[in-house]
Amino acid sequence: MTTKAYALPSDLSPATVTNTTSLLRIIALAFISGAAIASRLFAVINFESIIHEFDPWFNYRATRVLVADGFYEFWNWFDPTAWYPLGRVVGGTVYPGLMATSGVIYKILHALNLPVDIRNICVLLAPGFSSLTAWSTYMFTKELKDESAGLLAAAFIGIVPGYISRSVAGSYDNEAIAIFLLMFTFFNWIKALKTGSAFFGTIAALFYFYMVAAWGGYAFITNMIPLHALALLLMGRYSSRLYVAYSSWYAVGTLASMQVPFVGFQPVRTSEHMAALGVFGLLQIIAFAELVRSHVSSKQFQTLLYASVIGLGFLGTLAIIGLTYKGWIAPWTGRFYSLWDTGYAKKYIPIIASVSEHQPTAWPSFFMDLQFLIFLFPAGVVMCFRELRDEHVFVIIYAIVASYFAGVMVRLMLTLTPVVCVAAAIAFSTVLDTYINPVEPEAPADEAASSEVNSVASDVTNPSTPTPVSKKSKKAVKDSSASSTTGPFGDLVASVTSGKSGKKGERSFGVFGLDTRLVVIFHAIGMLIFFVWHCTWVTSNAYSSPSVVLASSNPDGSQHIIDDFREAYYWLRQNTPETAVVMSWWDYGYQIAGMADRPTLVDNNTWNNTHIATVGKAMSSSEEVAYPILRKHDVDYVLVIFGGLIGYSGDDINKFLWMVRIAQGVWPDEIQEPNYFTRKGEYKIDDEASPTMKNSLMYKMSYYRYAELFGGGQALDRVRGQQVPKTGPTLDYLDEAFTSENWIVRIYEVKKEDLLGRDLKSANAFAQGKKRKRTKPASRRKALL
Amino acid sequence: MFSRWGLLLVLGLASWATAKSSTGDSVLVILEPKLDKDNFSIFFDGLREKGYDLTFRAPKDVEPAVIEYDSPQFSHVILFAPETKSFANDITPQSLVTLLEKKTNLLLVVSSKQTPLTSLAPEFSLVLPPPGTPLLSHFPERDTPATVIPVNVSPNPVVTSKLPPVWFSGIPFSLQNNPLLFPILSAPPESFAADSEGDSGAEAVVQVSEKGGEGLWAGSQMSLVAGFQALGGSRATWVGGVDLFSDEYAQKETKPGVKSGNKEFASAVAAWTFQESLALRIDRVTHHRVNQTEALQAYTTNDEIVFTAHISKFNSETSAWEPFSGIQDMQLEFTMLDPHIRTALPPVPGKAGEYSVTFRAPDRHGVFKFVINHKRKGWTHLESSTMVSLVPPRHDGYPRFLSAAWPYYIGAISTSLGFFIFSALWLAGDDRESKKSKGSKAE
Repeated sequence: MTTKAYALPSDLSPATVTNTTSLLRIIALAFISGAAIASRLFAVINFESIIHEFDPWFNYRATRVLVADGFYEFWNWFDPTAWYPLGRVVGGTVYPGLMATSGVIYKILHALNLPVDIRNICVLLAPGFSSLTAWSTYMFTKELKDESAGLLAAAFIGIVPGYISRSVAGSYDNEAIAIFLLMFTFFNWIKALKTGSAFFGTIAALFYFYMVAAWGGYAFITNMIPLHALALLLMGRYSSRLYVAYSSWYAVGTLASMQVPFVGFQPVRTSEHMAALGVFGLLQIIAFAELVRSHVSSKQFQTLLYASVIGLGFLGTLAIIGLTYKGWIAPWTGRFYSLWDTGYAKKYIPIIASVSEHQPTAWPSFFMDLQFLIFLFPAGVVMCFRELRDEHVFVIIYAIVASYFAGVMVRLMLTLTPVVCVAAAIAFSTVLDTYINPVEPEAPADEAASSEVNSVASDVTNPSTPTPVSKKSKKAVKDSSASSTTGPFGDLVASVTSGKSGKKGERSFGVFGLDTRLVVIFHAIGMLIFFVWHCTWVTSNAYSSPSVVLASSNPDGSQHIIDDFREAYYWLRQNTPETAVVMSWWDYGYQIAGMADRPTLVDNNTWNNTHIATVGKAMSSSEEVAYPILRKHDVDYVLVIFGGLIGYSGDDINKFLWMVRIAQGVWPDEIQEPNYFTRKGEYKIDDEASPTMKNSLMYKMSYYRYAELFGGGQALDRVRGQQVPKTGPTLDYLDEAFTSENWIVRIYEVKKEDLLGRDLKSANAFAQGKKRKRTKPASRRKALL
Repeated sequence: MFSRWGLLLVLGLASWATAKSSTGDSVLVILEPKLDKDNFSIFFDGLREKGYDLTFRAPKDVEPAVIEYDSPQFSHVILFAPETKSFANDITPQSLVTLLEKKTNLLLVVSSKQTPLTSLAPEFSLVLPPPGTPLLSHFPERDTPATVIPVNVSPNPVVTSKLPPVWFSGIPFSLQNNPLLFPILSAPPESFAADSEGDSGAEAVVQVSEKGGEGLWAGSQMSLVAGFQALGGSRATWVGGVDLFSDEYAQKETKPGVKSGNKEFASAVAAWTFQESLALRIDRVTHHRVNQTEALQAYTTNDEIVFTAHISKFNSETSAWEPFSGIQDMQLEFTMLDPHIRTALPPVPGKAGEYSVTFRAPDRHGVFKFVINHKRKGWTHLESSTMVSLVPPRHDGYPRFLSAAWPYYIGAISTSLGFFIFSALWLAGDDRESKKSKGSKAE
């Protein structure tokens, strides 16, 4: 009989304990879901029920089309207003999973006579799915350790800022549902692998299909699962379970994923998907070899077989390389290269590098997004090494790969977050298990029984797992539970923590007394409380801004809403003809299409670099050069974002160098980045600015009449902290049409050609009554005097 | 205010029946006080006979204003003020351009004196000679001073009928390279601009012409009357001397017994300027698929599309727009950034005013425009742009079965059959057989 640090109730029946724990689990999960949803509602409470940022506006617009016109019309939707005049075949260039999900929810709710507006469904979809994510993370972690770790993981993922940043209410983006699908696919994969079940493999494939339909990041699964399978093969852990799970997942999943129009034949024709195909082939070869080996006894034959297997694998690899070389398989895309070489994008594809979320992650953001989980994360990975069943290998690989990617790109923090939550939950629950377990270590005894117990903790819950130690550990558990006489509740605690209790028994060191336990537990709870505090603070302050509406505070502390974007977009909507083409930098394309409902030249679906470079060229050239470009593209209005007046730093002048770089990539002879710097190499907008800079359309549109605002005083640009020249730029080819309240959005109308066939500059000079210089032919003719 | 507008409207409607111009019949004549109205009675009466409603005012008068409340008050303005040094505020060069913008037609007269119009001329790509250098010609020999010149009218779109020479006295101007500008009356080859009324410049002309004539205000490249078809559709005519319109020149004989062509010429110039002649318009354009009738917002790539334009010409005899099939060189462009298709748009035989073409849409999706851009000297510009989108075939618009895909069909069918047979054998066979087939499965 072991001593107890504290007494446990002993008069409970085992059934009561089981029922109560499962009820508590359900309640805990319900609360976690509630917390996950509630903390994402800051955006709605602080602002309003509005679609956030940029991409969500397109998703929202597409969803409205889907709901209004039906799925087939959506599938065949050609949007003539995007990428004017190229148009966009939306049905074939979109991941429809998100819109389809909202559409289905909308139809169901309306079938139930709940007339919910589609906007509210879109706004609240991400919080809703975050609770599903919490549940699937719980299921996933349960497979790795136990229910208590699962609950912790669910709680972590529910409120961790790294995930909230992409899933607050109104952040209607693909990631909103993709993380749930990611975790659930992984859960099914592990389940299939553990049980060797084709059923779970197929379920994994179906959710993989859903993931493919929902997010371009599906390639992460496409490569994670083969990587895991390959690692298992290399570790010599080939089994028929692996064969069944992988084959069913790959065959069904690949065929299903090819049904998404945007993906099409990519799974068999691009390098990104070749790993999955290669591992599939390898598995077939190995399975065949295993089969033959089990039937043939001759040793020489086996050697031959091995040689042929290796030869076949080699040939297969060669074939893939050859096909790539021949062009049958598309080589890696630039986005992929930029994952390995962070400088690649900046050099070759500035359009990718220009996106802030494609930048490498700064160290503080790891703490900001994950707080204390980032410290527990390595501990959790180490815990996985201690057990190292197949699923733990998966988590280890996932952790390594995702850590790397999260370091390369800010936005991939999102894929790291789930594994951090899982690993941290494992580590944290191990700590809690150790310190809540009331069993006191005792003097060395019973060594024979306990020496075998050194690895597995949770096999009791998964007795079917065929690890070599399972029998022994079961025995150990029996030992430990037999030794406890504290009733079923003690049983439960002991079973959960059996590994540790055994170890303690063995080595005769461990946790003594109640005080040590309480100290650690209070600290642990303190960490949790701070974590919740941090998450809530970060969520409400950093991640809940819609970025369509800005907030600042008045001197008295009250909130002041800056609503320039919507003001300008509604101006466009109400004052311009429906066919008026609006040119802006691509960041604002989706918003203009969504809020102003006007055709745009370029938008956030940056599929055509040349078209974007054309806009970049127009923005960075002088008026005379830009005007033919504008006319050729039927541009009626040009929209620029200018933050100089109120200090909004995300404005177009700050993005201007990217426009220059992108334009330079296509027209290196006409646009050169160094021309936009001062002689000292500084990027300035004041008197020292270079002539090219001052003549560029972007500069002129930003600072047109800005100095007048200061009534003769020195005009100051609050973003750049520089003084704007007193005599501002003049515009001949554009007319100022609209400037919003805080000057954030400025809209210019493109003038029509002069009716007398003059260039607009001299037409303007004439209209202002300036004397025209004598034109050349006149001087050539002379009158007789 | 309203009643006044109403009155104008009623007047406008009432006079429409007799109007000769396609854009309205109210004419403001800004006449210099120096010039006597009666000296131009033939010209003005001719206009009145045609149905125009003439209002006279001096260049320095303020009433009646040309533009009130941003809307032009007259359809046409004749500016016979060749020597006035300054104009009233509403007819500055700038506001004259504004008038053109607002679809008012202008008939402008310049002289060798410097006036506000001298600074306006360069905006129309006209280069006037230095002040005080009228056109001289010593040929043909005649009894008039050298500045009064009979000019042969060479055929041009504005004056089509064969006219006797017209008397001209004034200045020439050279035309710059502007496609909107075209000469109506060219200077005689022997004429030149000089600052003297007499013969004194002749020697110099001879000297210069011996050196090749470079840099001389001389020759038939100079224009005396030039037409300008502004992009908005309005027209302006520049005339080098006001006497062209005078009664004296209209009655003066060029040869004994032959009256000058001035009257007809002035009338033709005014008719062109006031949009009586050579005025075209596109009534409507339609487009549809072959064998269908309704116009679509979006066509599928490779569709056969029929495009039809209906074009009318103004007939000043009947004061009505009549279908016009006389354009032979019209083209249709199907444009996205660049024309993907440029094809002739010929008149349909037997259908007046209808021009039609059938073409196959390019295999390229995007937002396309049917563009008609027909600009000919003297004629109203015909411009039309109709936007349609060209979309890829719908998901069910592709061929259902492809003969090229038979290997895949056979593959799918044979795999299905093989699986079926295998399952049947597996289920039906006994243990030993099943072991064998297990081996074949793995293979």
